[in-house]
Amino acid sequence: MKKKLSENILDKFSIDFLRNQVLKNAYGNDDTVIARLDPRILLAWYLFFGLTPWFVSDLWFLSACFLLVLVTTVLARVAGLVLLLFAVGVFTQTGYLLIVSLFFGGDASTIIPLLILTLKVATCSLASVTVFSGLDPDRLSNGLMWYGCPERLSFSISYAYRILPMLMEEFQNILLSFRMRGNAPAHDTFFGKIRYLFYQVKIVMHAFYPLMLNTAKRSRTTVEALEIKGYRYAAVNKTVKKMKLASLRVTYNDWLFLSVSFLLVAVAILLSTLF
Amino acid sequence: MNIIEVENLTYSYPAAKSPILRNISLTVEKGDFLAVVGNNGCGKSTFCKTLNGLIPHFTDGDFEGSVKVDGLPTLEADVGTLACKVGYVYQDFENQIVRPTVLDDASYACLNYAMPDYIKKGRQALSMCGLEGRESDYIWQLSGGQTHLLALAGVLSLQPDVLILDEPIAQLDPGHAGKIYEVLKELNEVHGKTILVIEHHTEYIADYCKHVMLMRDGGVAWKLPTAEALRRVEELKECNIFPPQVTIAAHKLKQEGKLSKEQSLPTTIPEGKTAFRTFSFYPDATPKKKQAAAGEAIVEFRGVSASYRSVKGDDRAVFDGLNLEIHRGEKIALIGSNGAGKSTLMKMMVGLRRPSAGDILLGGESIQKMGTEQLSRSVSLVYQNPEEMFIKDSIRADIAYAMQVRGVKNWSERTDGLLARFRLTQLQERDGRLLSGGQMRRASLAIGIALNPQILLLDEPTANLDIATRKEIMQTLSDLRDITETVLIATHDMQLVCEWAQRIVVLCGGKVVADGPRDAIFGDSALLTAVGIRPPEIFTMGQALDSRALCYTIEDFLHHFKELPQ
Repeated sequence: MKKKLSENILDKFSIDFLRNQVLKNAYGNDDTVIARLDPRILLAWYLFFGLTPWFVSDLWFLSACFLLVLVTTVLARVAGLVLLLFAVGVFTQTGYLLIVSLFFGGDASTIIPLLILTLKVATCSLASVTVFSGLDPDRLSNGLMWYGCPERLSFSISYAYRILPMLMEEFQNILLSFRMRGNAPAHDTFFGKIRYLFYQVKIVMHAFYPLMLNTAKRSRTTVEALEIKGYRYAAVNKTVKKMKLASLRVTYNDWLFLSVSFLLVAVAILLSTLF
Repeated sequence: MNIIEVENLTYSYPAAKSPILRNISLTVEKGDFLAVVGNNGCGKSTFCKTLNGLIPHFTDGDFEGSVKVDGLPTLEADVGTLACKVGYVYQDFENQIVRPTVLDDASYACLNYAMPDYIKKGRQALSMCGLEGRESDYIWQLSGGQTHLLALAGVLSLQPDVLILDEPIAQLDPGHAGKIYEVLKELNEVHGKTILVIEHHTEYIADYCKHVMLMRDGGVAWKLPTAEALRRVEELKECNIFPPQVTIAAHKLKQEGKLSKEQSLPTTIPEGKTAFRTFSFYPDATPKKKQAAAGEAIVEFRGVSASYRSVKGDDRAVFDGLNLEIHRGEKIALIGSNGAGKSTLMKMMVGLRRPSAGDILLGGESIQKMGTEQLSRSVSLVYQNPEEMFIKDSIRADIAYAMQVRGVKNWSERTDGLLARFRLTQLQERDGRLLSGGQMRRASLAIGIALNPQILLLDEPTANLDIATRKEIMQTLSDLRDITETVLIATHDMQLVCEWAQRIVVLCGGKVVADGPRDAIFGDSALLTAVGIRPPEIFTMGQALDSRALCYTIEDFLHHFKELPQ
């Protein structure tokens, strides 16, 4: 186990793994309950659960919201990497304070405010994770477009997901070139390991230059192809926007989803007034 | 009726000193299947881009003369209108695909031009390209050939009358290449599309195209019916175009006076059968000398399994219990269709990918215990895409890098030597990415052998090259024979396989399905059909005349086939 942990970051956290996680996150869960919801409804839902927790400090309300977004996150089958980033994020924001305060003689009076802050951060993050990771990029960008976001933004979102895997593969190959031809410092000792880590960070930075040049070379064709495919016409054409949005439909499930969320929030508010 | 009419077209790119297209006048009839051939840099792609209006609407420059498509002058129409008349599939077609799913990409252009039935049009285009049933697939689930078909469907959805394809089969294995041309043939014959292809593979031109246009120095040298065009052997060779091997063989026989003057040169195998009907096969009198016994095994694959992570569901297995031994001094060709695992096998040998089960031994030791840096001292891999090997800003720095960081003595002199050997001395300060295809390939080979590896692995060293450059690289590879002991090449290029390899390993479905010298592989016609290998044309010609004949090169053929004494 120890040996495994000390293996280099590139092995553990390979670009191949990252690429897979990005794809999984974007497209690997298009058959979940969350993914089938209407993006407009989901965005409105997000607006509520992403904003209100900041203005409310009631423990009942926050716990209920947290539970709800926890369930939606599970339902959305979010990729592992995103959840890990979430956990690390919440911990470094506030979670560590909670532990530190316990060590230094904190009691309920310190724990409760910290718990509330942690719940706020966690609820908002999980709501974002549900919406942005549970929906595939195309449905998400259609939803944003309906709310009047410019066409360019929504195209960029889906194109980014189209191009990202290619970029990562290219980046991986360039890194491999460095690994095959480079000469990494020996990393048996502790200082060796630190040197090795620095070496790898340096390589990652060096690899950006060829990546950018190769991407520039590729993008020529893409730009011309977009021109031929009428991307510029569509950006200013209202009919096209309508056609794109025609696929959006609010169904029975959407109302059910909203009602359940609403009911839960209502119960939480009721409980907090009772106790 | 003429669908394309070009009059006195002269064009130069912005800031270029001299025009790239000079005074072109040309007409193309509706329903034609035209091959555009010519030397590198003679303006083939530029010419094709004037037809869909990218030039001069998207790329400026000096544009004189007129181009009319279906009666519409391109100067007056905009790119959108022209896109509905002329479709263009790029050589680097994967960059042309902008949407994540298949149907989405196929119908994207129609959607952008606000056609209400865009989904239907996209579906129609997909079915014309043989991609029905893949509508909701993501584009990274497609093979190389299918991706090309999707790029084609993307332009077909606008229902253009003219289709232009820039080197459609350069990156594909023969099975996929045949499929593409069958689709084009149907589009041409059944749907009445006019098709222009920029193509180097004259066997495909002979089989599918109706006319051939030769471009030289930015002008049109001639446009002729295919058979007539391919018979102009000398003229084509001057422009670095190599006519079908059957034609070249017949041409040589004619020059030697062994084929009658009246016999017109054959361009396809059926024609060859008639032309060579009086020839018969003379086997070698002495049996071939036995191959030297193989050296000791330096690489062993023992029950190796490997798989890729997939986005959904189970991982996709590439190998399942693969066993293979590579001996010192062997020159091995690794063949198999796109996705058979050739690149994966090579990546495992340099430790860039770990097997999920089994073990790989290098010189008797498991490579699991060796780091990449240690492995790369004995094994070197040259990627299919040379751009990914250029990590410095000049090729000199790229070649020197590995020797420099490892403190190889006299690395500077060695770099000079390598530059000279690969004829790169003049170019040494240039960035690798800005070189031509052949120069990039030579530079990547120089980088690959800089550390004097025991084993050299080359992934598709001749892909994406025109035939002349390919010949040059093949020459370089045979020069390498004496420098590097053991060489393994993964390739679709059967001419390279036949002329270079001593041993051929055929991969199919994650297993080695055949392994042996070329006679054993190419002599087994059942195997060739099963795995989808298309032998060099001259080999097929020999087989068609006499099933005992195993002729791999034109010289072999001329040596073994002689006219019956009267």
